[in-house]
Amino acid sequence: MKPPAKMSKPTSLFVIFFSLFVMSEAVFEDQVGKFDWRQQYVGKTLFAHFDSHSQSSKKLFLATDKNIFASFNSRTGDLFWRHVDKVGPEGTIDILLLHGQDALMVVGGGRLLRSWDTNMGGLNWEAVLDTGSFQAACFVAIQDTVKHVAVLKKAVISLHYLTNGHQKWVENLPDSDTVQYQAVYSGGEEEVYVLGVVPNSHLTIIAYSLEDGEIIKQRSVEAPWLSSVESSCVVIGQGVLMCVDPATLALYTLPIQAEEAPQFNQILLQVTPVQPRLEVSLGFQPVLVSSQPHPARSPISEFFLQLGPDHHVLLQLNADGYTIAALRDFQPAFLVSFATTGEKTVAAVMTPKNETVSLQKKKKRFNNICFFKDSVVFPPQLYVHAFLKKDDSVGYRVLVQTQDHALTFIQQPGRVVWTREEALADVVTMEMVDLPLTGTQAELEGEFGKKADGLFPMVLKRLSSQVILLQVWLAHLWKLFYEARQPHGQVKNEVTIETLSRDEFNLQKMMVMVTASGKLFGIDSKSGSILWKHYLENVQPNAVFKLIVQRTTAHFPHPPQCTLLIKDKDTGLASLHVFNPIFGRKSHIAPPALPRPILQSLLLPVIDQDYAKVLLLVDDQYKVTAFPSTKNVLQQLQEMASSIFFYLIRSDQGNLSGFRLRKDLSTERIWEVVLPTEVQKIVAVNGKRPNEHVHSQGRVMGDRSVLYKYLNPNLLAVVTESTDAHPERAFVGVFLVDGVTGRIIHEAVQRKARGPVHFVHSENWVVYEYWNTKSRRNEFSVLELFEGTELYNSTVFSSLDRPHLPQVLQQTYIFPSPITTMEATLTEKGITSRHLLVGLPSGAILSLPKMFLDPRRPEVVTEHSREENLIPYAPEMPIRTEWFINYNQTVARVKGIYTAPSGLESTCLVVAYGLDIYQTRVYPSKQFDVLKDDYDYVLISSVLLALFFATMISKRLAQVKLLNRAWR
Amino acid sequence: MSDRIVDGVRKHTPSILLFFDESPFSLLWLWLSTEKRKQIKSEKIGIILYIAMASPGGQGGGAVSTRGAGARRMKWALELSLGNARGRGDRQSNQGDVMYPIGYSDKPVPDTSIQETDKNLVEKRCWDVALGPLKQIPMNLFIMYMSGNTISIFPIMMVCMMAWRPIQALMSMSATFKLLENSNQQWLQGLVYSVGNLLGSALAIYKCQSMGLLPTHSSDWLAFIEPPQRMEIMGGGMVL
Repeated sequence: MKPPAKMSKPTSLFVIFFSLFVMSEAVFEDQVGKFDWRQQYVGKTLFAHFDSHSQSSKKLFLATDKNIFASFNSRTGDLFWRHVDKVGPEGTIDILLLHGQDALMVVGGGRLLRSWDTNMGGLNWEAVLDTGSFQAACFVAIQDTVKHVAVLKKAVISLHYLTNGHQKWVENLPDSDTVQYQAVYSGGEEEVYVLGVVPNSHLTIIAYSLEDGEIIKQRSVEAPWLSSVESSCVVIGQGVLMCVDPATLALYTLPIQAEEAPQFNQILLQVTPVQPRLEVSLGFQPVLVSSQPHPARSPISEFFLQLGPDHHVLLQLNADGYTIAALRDFQPAFLVSFATTGEKTVAAVMTPKNETVSLQKKKKRFNNICFFKDSVVFPPQLYVHAFLKKDDSVGYRVLVQTQDHALTFIQQPGRVVWTREEALADVVTMEMVDLPLTGTQAELEGEFGKKADGLFPMVLKRLSSQVILLQVWLAHLWKLFYEARQPHGQVKNEVTIETLSRDEFNLQKMMVMVTASGKLFGIDSKSGSILWKHYLENVQPNAVFKLIVQRTTAHFPHPPQCTLLIKDKDTGLASLHVFNPIFGRKSHIAPPALPRPILQSLLLPVIDQDYAKVLLLVDDQYKVTAFPSTKNVLQQLQEMASSIFFYLIRSDQGNLSGFRLRKDLSTERIWEVVLPTEVQKIVAVNGKRPNEHVHSQGRVMGDRSVLYKYLNPNLLAVVTESTDAHPERAFVGVFLVDGVTGRIIHEAVQRKARGPVHFVHSENWVVYEYWNTKSRRNEFSVLELFEGTELYNSTVFSSLDRPHLPQVLQQTYIFPSPITTMEATLTEKGITSRHLLVGLPSGAILSLPKMFLDPRRPEVVTEHSREENLIPYAPEMPIRTEWFINYNQTVARVKGIYTAPSGLESTCLVVAYGLDIYQTRVYPSKQFDVLKDDYDYVLISSVLLALFFATMISKRLAQVKLLNRAWR
Repeated sequence: MSDRIVDGVRKHTPSILLFFDESPFSLLWLWLSTEKRKQIKSEKIGIILYIAMASPGGQGGGAVSTRGAGARRMKWALELSLGNARGRGDRQSNQGDVMYPIGYSDKPVPDTSIQETDKNLVEKRCWDVALGPLKQIPMNLFIMYMSGNTISIFPIMMVCMMAWRPIQALMSMSATFKLLENSNQQWLQGLVYSVGNLLGSALAIYKCQSMGLLPTHSSDWLAFIEPPQRMEIMGGGMVL
């Protein structure tokens, strides 16, 4: 029951009771996981290590760009544990080193040094490092045992104990303002070497004593060709520094430990006796790849030289330290990596040729493992783990991170063990699309859709469809029977694309998710399984996406159609990707060419002859392109042009402007509002959701009159924040602007308030949340608009004919927690009361009844307010734990909440996305249209049966009695 | 009506028959009085059920208390069989073997000739009937006052009863007229009777009104207002 709607006196009582039920809403223990699921992600991998501590270990450690340190089960790909650090540079993982059971991590640009216990995922210790930006770190070993870790920063080097993180010594680096120190190296001796470079001048090598941090020696070597140690130098063999000079295409070697100050030894690539000739691709910076298997030992003398995007050469430094020998040339080869177990080292090369990965062993034996039958996505990272098998041969496992952020784990014979779609850690936008009807349902629908062609054929058609329905039902019964005979657990209800069909109440939908990496996913909302994925190549990392559902599944036999607008931020050019949201296939409909940068898009309720809604794209000359642009559409547009308006907001200029469409698809500016950017800037704007229904047009007052809602479909809520961040002068502004006329309906300025502002605009209300700088707390404010006790025009709403401004009510409450996102529930007909879904930083999702955010909550309770069922005003907004719809399934870093109506009026589907994805259903007014799960069918039916029989018996008895009496 | 037969019926009427003959309402009454203290309000379906059950027996509500279980009896019965052993036994105990013809009564037949006093009695009786509804009004007013304006099961039942009884009475006007046809002031009495009933129903309507059950406010029609059609199409947003 919707409390304000049609609440005459009898219903108000029920409402009180219903609202009591609403307050006790929570999930029962046996309902956990029944309607909801959660998927946890970590993001794009930056560093990965295999647990080589024990032979049978299944662990895999990852550090990702989302500032997460995680451990996976390498057999299944499931998460063991995960540590989510702060967002932004404060939590950035600079490096992850693994030694034995300890995982060492430098966090936050060299702010903290952390050691984790890899077994349990617990923190061993944490040490605060000196200020300065992080450059490099490495383990330092003495006599084959690793005891220290050296951390190199811009101007300082420090050595820490591995056991407790205490600092052994810290030394300032000499001449740190001119020399750029970039690398630190330890080969198991008593010294730690720091390599620095003065670009295009010379290289500096400083050796520190391990004991006390004393500078043992300091040398400077002429290197006018060297600009960066980090990108062009590696240490190989017995402490030989190998550098590559892209200009002269020469390799330079230099023994680090040498006492004297020698020159670099030059090896010209063109003249080396290597087959085939080594030539660098045009404009490519050659890269060296080497490996130091154990910090106590020197690196191996083999190394890779990358000469082009797909060209690698495996080279070996000869024992003399001055000459090199080529072992093998790999072309094409995208990725190379080394892995070591015991004394054996494996080099892995990934080649796109025949879609295979070649694995080459040091003993010059080559074997291929098959990989990626269907994917040609360029993989940017490769991690290999080698281990000794029982028969002393080398086994390997490979972890590949591809460009679409998919993480694939491959085992020895080239079998893909698991794949994780880490792109889902960064969902940008999503939509939920109804599933298609089954063949029989469509048949029935079609019967009503088609035109009547006489009585008799109609009867025949009806009969035939009924027969089909009967057949389906019998088949279903047979299936049930068949499945019942199977032992429990063998029956798998796997969802595949072929078996997808709408359920009875439309509770199962297709979630179309767009991720920042440009990969699209189709996920079944019931099970969470990924049904299709599509990677859009050439999507810029900072691209903007807008997903539009042009045609729903309702127009059988036309397939549903979604359009993704992708705009490149740099060039401003946009492209359209048109696809079928159920199968993920690209549509054969050719999207229009968009030669000019696109500013905005606008989906019209106008449909073409194929039932696709028309999408208007506005370019930077304010010209409009229609898609689809058939003759029919253009004609309709011409007829309707005068009633089509759009608005554009330029945040950088503080400019809001409204346009009207002309018949020739050009536009004219009809209004403009300028908010001076030096005072405030526009941070967000929100209209109402187009699929929102409002059932009740007003609210019933205590005296049983009606306060009509101001339901302006063209209303925009524009939120601004002051540019002045001083706590005394900061403010947050909310402007309610009519999008057609540009009229400012209301203006609410919250002084001494600061963003980030989260807000929801729906029906006749706007709820926003901000930080109160004076009282230092989070506050919710609600604005409600009412037309008054009389409707101006109850049949049509035109923004151009609204002489009266609405009455605006506002109230503010204290909220005990910051929030990360906010959304309102949405139901089919809008009869169910609304809840606000609030994502908290703790990962909980709070379902807050809108009833608590009602500006009509009275300070003094009166007869009328009690009658109206208003809760007396209390400044504090409660957070009740039973309002958490995701109980203990926290959703890390909630970024957005998507709500969609289901076929049941009581039920709203909710998807929360961020780092994790969580899907559930909410029932804001309880499930008033569904029997409860624990409904006692047995009791009810037995009582009914018993009553029935009792009636029969007593009837019989009464008859007998009457007869007897008649005979008397 | 003969005593014997009354006696016989009383003995042999099975209790279950009584139960079904007139008990739906009294049963409900009993049940309700036990349920009184429970929170019936939440049981929405329950309320509808009560109303549905209560309204047809509307006039029985008051009658239940006055009408005893024995009040409903067979008006008359013919005893055709002479071989009724029990009946014969009864008579034998009184009169021996003497057989009486059908319709014989021990008591002297009263004088049925119409007398002047009877006429007055009829008149009086007819006025009783005609004034019945009016006499009930003070009682109804009292009940109204006592039940208050809250919406709960008892006031609703009461209102339904109050509304239904006059309507039922008005619908069976012809039967009432038949009762009054011996009176001289038949029309006046009829008028008084109907006015009394109309007053009764007016009272019920007033009660409904004060309880807020009549759709007389704009809020009662709010659910039927269609959302207005929008004239302009608008969209847009921040520049992407």
